Amino acid sequence: MKKRNLGFYLRIYRKILVQDLKSKMSYRADFIISTVGMIFTNIAGFVSFWILFQNFPSINGWGYYEMLFLYGFSLVSLTPVQCLFDNNWSLRQYVYSGDFIKYCFRPINLFFYFQSEVFDIKGLGQLVFGVGTLVYAWGKIGLACTPVMIIKTVIFLITASLVMIAVQNAAAATCFWINNSFYVLDLSMRCKDFARYPITIFSPLFKFIFTFIIPVAFIAYYPSLVILRPGEAPLLSWLSPLFGCLFFWLSYKIWIFGAMKYSGTGS
Amino acid sequence: MVIKMNLKKYLTLTRAGIIESLQFRASLFVLVLGNLLYLTVVYFLWKAIYASAGTDVVNGMTFSDTLIYLVLATALFNFMEMYTVWDMGRNIQSGKIVLDLLKPMGYRSYLFWSFSGSFVVNFFGVFLPTFLVVYIVTWGAIPIGISMLYFVIAVVMAVIINYSIDFIVGTICLYTESIWGINIMKQVIVLLLSGATIPLAFFPEPFKTVAEYLPFQSIYNTPLTILLGGTGTEAVFEALGIQLFWCVALLAFSSLFWKLSLRKITVNGG
Repeated sequence: MKKRNLGFYLRIYRKILVQDLKSKMSYRADFIISTVGMIFTNIAGFVSFWILFQNFPSINGWGYYEMLFLYGFSLVSLTPVQCLFDNNWSLRQYVYSGDFIKYCFRPINLFFYFQSEVFDIKGLGQLVFGVGTLVYAWGKIGLACTPVMIIKTVIFLITASLVMIAVQNAAAATCFWINNSFYVLDLSMRCKDFARYPITIFSPLFKFIFTFIIPVAFIAYYPSLVILRPGEAPLLSWLSPLFGCLFFWLSYKIWIFGAMKYSGTGS
Repeated sequence: MVIKMNLKKYLTLTRAGIIESLQFRASLFVLVLGNLLYLTVVYFLWKAIYASAGTDVVNGMTFSDTLIYLVLATALFNFMEMYTVWDMGRNIQSGKIVLDLLKPMGYRSYLFWSFSGSFVVNFFGVFLPTFLVVYIVTWGAIPIGISMLYFVIAVVMAVIINYSIDFIVGTICLYTESIWGINIMKQVIVLLLSGATIPLAFFPEPFKTVAEYLPFQSIYNTPLTILLGGTGTEAVFEALGIQLFWCVALLAFSSLFWKLSLRKITVNGG
């Protein structure tokens, strides 16, 4: 069999994407309302953030604009997981109803095919909101705007996204073993809200948990340190691209392992 | 005799709901675990916030007040959130709603009573343990006395208000056929304006007044402020009165809105 390269997968992805968008467009009202809902979520998140800082000027030595930077950073880095891996939310139902079997019969990578089926456009609103916040905070802090800085930011944003994708993959894959995995997935999604706080506020035990077990600290805190306070960034921050890839690879393996274990419902 | 029959049919639904929820013991466990994790984060976050503030009391709330407030808000959320909108939306899309409409009781009560089972389970499985833990950990911060009774009354009304809002939003799904967007909007608005994420006391001025005129604050802010004491009896009765007003108004509105919308219902296939 011919070895499939990246180009092959990109071509397939484009084809599936077009079909998905067509089917989304046939429910136009739903599409618009969902987009508005997403914008609402972001605005509400920002308002609660703002209210908090109306009462308290800083948290643990982190000022308003620095926290805003963390916030924007986490929003941007959460976009890929929202847009590209949204089908993870339905995995549970596919496995439960037995429809998952349809993915197993295609001569392409199972994980790729499953995730490519849904592209969530409303995540793009979050991207715009996040980039806006990030740029605003960037200007207010007075960070230099050199090509090196920008490349660094992009690399660390990608890193952070990989971590979030990994967390979601692993959480979604639990449905291969336990029946009602919605709560696991829901829990992991709630953890992403913790990502926007500096990890230094936690006790050592929770620092450890949020670094290595549920690695939410890699979603915003560790990577942002490299940009905001390079002098203070620990080794872990600089290594976070490595960790991003590692976590992603691990979650992929868990997901595939679960899928291989899948035996169908017999219907 | 008729009343007894009526009660029996509702309680049968409650019983079925309890049995159904107990089927998912594992999810209850994950829920509690998730709460613990969430509350730990809340604890450390607000501890850092209060440490940075330099004073013990901010906007009339101490650190332990804020903590109790937020912890119990989460516990209340777990037991009040019934995913009504999801259920209604899905039933509308799949057409199952037709079968529910044929049942020998109003759809609104049918839905409520089918949820009441998970209510009971979550009350004893999540809310009560959380409450006891909070009570013991912050020994003395929650005054025991008549305010407990007011708290229970306030929670009952909060449940009704919350359900009515959910039902109204679910009815909107009849028109829009969109579930996710409508539901997320509702959830975001309710959680923010009810003071579930940040106590209303922290809201800066124009926002606070606006929030106080809306029904959402009756869901979380009223019961929790009453529980924490600090306000006089008069203020408690005023808050309960406002709650009662919203209770009646929203019940009436949701009932009317549903009746009008029912004529519009179109179900694909069956």
